[in-house]
Amino acid sequence: MVFKMARGPADPEVKAKVLEYLGKVQKAKSRDVAVAIGASKSDVDNAVKELTAEDLVEYLYITTTFICLKGKVQTPD
Amino acid sequence: MAILDQGPPHYKKMLPPIVQENYGKWKYHEIPSPGVLKHVGESGAALYSVRVGTPRLVSIDFIRDVCVIADEYCDGFLRWTTRNNVEFLVSDEAKLKPLLEKLEAEGYSVGGTGRSVSNIVHTQGWVHCHTPATDASGVVKAVMDDLYEYFNTMKLPAKLKMGLACCLNMCGAAHCSDIAIVGVHRTPPRINHEVIRKGTEIPSLVASCPTGAIRPDPKNKSVIVNEDKCMYCGNCYTMSPAMEIYDPKNDGIAILIGGKTSNARTSPSFSRMVIPFLPNTAPRWPETTEAIRKIIELWIANANDGERVGEWVERIGWERFFTLAELPFSDMLIDDYIFSRETFRTSAQFKY
Amino acid sequence: MTEKNTPLLDELEKGKWPSFVTEIKRAAVKSEAAGELLQVLERSYKERRGHWKHGGIVGVRGYGGGVIGRYVDEPQTYPNVAEFHTVRLLQPSGWFYNTKTLRTVCDIWEKYGSGLTNMHGSTGDIILLGCKTEHIQPIFDEFSDAGFDLGGSGSCLRTPNCCVGPGRCEHACYDTLEACYNITNEFMDELHRPMWPYKSKIKFSGCANDCTSSIARSDCSVIGTWRDTLRIDQEAVKEYAAKINIKAAVCDKCPTSCLTFNAETQELSVVGEDCTRCMHCINVMPKAIQPGKEKGATILIGGKSTIVQSAFMSWVIVPFMKMEAEDDFAEFKDLMRRIWEWWDEHGKSRERIGETIYRLGMTKFLNGIEVAPVPQMVFRPRANPYVFWNQDDLDRSGTALDGSKL
Repeated sequence: MVFKMARGPADPEVKAKVLEYLGKVQKAKSRDVAVAIGASKSDVDNAVKELTAEDLVEYLYITTTFICLKGKVQTPD
Repeated sequence: MAILDQGPPHYKKMLPPIVQENYGKWKYHEIPSPGVLKHVGESGAALYSVRVGTPRLVSIDFIRDVCVIADEYCDGFLRWTTRNNVEFLVSDEAKLKPLLEKLEAEGYSVGGTGRSVSNIVHTQGWVHCHTPATDASGVVKAVMDDLYEYFNTMKLPAKLKMGLACCLNMCGAAHCSDIAIVGVHRTPPRINHEVIRKGTEIPSLVASCPTGAIRPDPKNKSVIVNEDKCMYCGNCYTMSPAMEIYDPKNDGIAILIGGKTSNARTSPSFSRMVIPFLPNTAPRWPETTEAIRKIIELWIANANDGERVGEWVERIGWERFFTLAELPFSDMLIDDYIFSRETFRTSAQFKY
Repeated sequence: MTEKNTPLLDELEKGKWPSFVTEIKRAAVKSEAAGELLQVLERSYKERRGHWKHGGIVGVRGYGGGVIGRYVDEPQTYPNVAEFHTVRLLQPSGWFYNTKTLRTVCDIWEKYGSGLTNMHGSTGDIILLGCKTEHIQPIFDEFSDAGFDLGGSGSCLRTPNCCVGPGRCEHACYDTLEACYNITNEFMDELHRPMWPYKSKIKFSGCANDCTSSIARSDCSVIGTWRDTLRIDQEAVKEYAAKINIKAAVCDKCPTSCLTFNAETQELSVVGEDCTRCMHCINVMPKAIQPGKEKGATILIGGKSTIVQSAFMSWVIVPFMKMEAEDDFAEFKDLMRRIWEWWDEHGKSRERIGETIYRLGMTKFLNGIEVAPVPQMVFRPRANPYVFWNQDDLDRSGTALDGSKL
């Protein structure tokens, strides 16, 4: 088991896969994304960090925190 | 462009010179008068902290007011405590008396040290929370008004820490307080099927119920609540606004006592329920203030020197407490949830 | 138009304790939103129910939390609080402030918000109560320029906090202020970018008096302690003996009866190996009794409040750990990474780590984070024999001791 969290720039390939996967679902937990695209959770977290800074992905709090493509899910009323 | 991840402001910039000079080298402290702490360093330096109660919900005008005072008497340094009090940090002893006079003149409440009741740690209530079963600030105000004589004196048997949680989420350690005031619901959620159909994730909603009282209703594309199993925790309402749990006629307050988080003498302990329900009599909750005063007066009359509420009750026994307090004991006070067994008396030793 | 009178709330301006109603009214002089909050609240007092709705998505670019969405349930009636969001700011360690810093907070908040605050929230942040969605990014940008950062919200590391520690307390067994500052900065990703099953909290208390109540309300409680024996200054004991009854106030209340006061020699002695470091004697006689020299902290895991499976108090994972700024709190940070990684892998959605450990078993947790079991972790060992034996450690070749096949 590797315990170190990801640091440094994210893998562009993982970023592309995250975007592709989020295109297919409404929203997801980053762990589910990691399982679905076959990447490590820490690599996904690092990719998401960059994607949110680039305004392509956003966090979504609906009783727990999810991620989704920016603007894809509207505020629940 | 804003800087991301720069973290909190550095505490070292916030420390008065006397703290920087004596950092980690404090020797002892005393409480010269209620609300005043005197910390003495190994160097002999003395720092006076003057503690002032606040309602926690404060305006920026309040913050600016205390800044003016801190500039005049504390070289511009002050702090807040874990229990939402302000502490003016006085390094020049000559300024202590003038500061106390100023605070008195301006109507600030100095106290909350040693064997006193400190500020009640509390939540948002009707002011800003979306799941409250009672208000927070209003109940605290009413109770603190009533107990004021124990805030600005130190005549209690031991320190008294109180907490208020406006629902069972219990933001703020109310569950381990000498006296806890807890907002409770008493009726099952009302289901708004339309809201559920509009976008509630039914599996998550079903899973959120700790007693398994919620089951899917595929025909209706909604859920059904088994009302016999519901214990009104409101967790489903946190999951979905379709599960409205507030009920003005039946929501109210429960009183739990005897908890603590300090390890001094006895281990930290949870507060235990002694009054299952008191009504939400806004704006001043007379039933609640009276019930709390009675418990405190009983504790004052019966506790040994230095005994916190829970230590006193554990020494005399809870069965004896109910007799002395003349509080009705009912099935509502016997635990029937997950960790109930440890509360059952597995012994032939007890009092009346 | 809504009714502007607030007869019920006005009742809460009476009495000696400072009034939150007065505070809202003060803010209402400058802020229409604060004025409208007063009306919503008066209505809550009349109807005995809240009028705030679940939060939605609000945030700043690059972060997944720090702002909590709040909406009134009748936006047409109360347009100024239709959006009334909460901003959390990371507080300085120990809630020490200089007035310049506080005035900066006030000035920015006056410009964009209701002028109402909580000093502080239950978790420790500076809470700014009530602003519009469109102002969130400008508020963050301006606070960021002034040297502030957002706190945690959602399924992340929530804002850590600490007691006053070595800043003003003789009991502090480690530097809580530096630990809180250093460790908060270390875990900025975990705090600002929610990636876990649910929230996770850390609180730093300098001694077992636990002034932050860490054991009751944080997933990780870091409680200062010492490994050797407490230190007694016999001269100072004699001074106390003239003022207090040491036997009654100190020795008789010691939970392990490890202290003895000799009335003849006026000396206090301790049986070091019996002491459980509860702090009682030190609290009563701070001039005469001090913690030992080998200081550090006990690390406890799992504390949380009542929702959902009852309240948990944190339990001991590491009885004694050095907490030194010199080595950058490396051992603690390494342990936390292992703990979070295990929870992140095994926890269900909305499950606090204490609940995950309880569901799967302490043994699995300890194996998962590679921490060896020690008796300090439990009050007493199990009373049943239902051990999950590791089958790989047993000889399951199917042959009995006498050589016959099973």
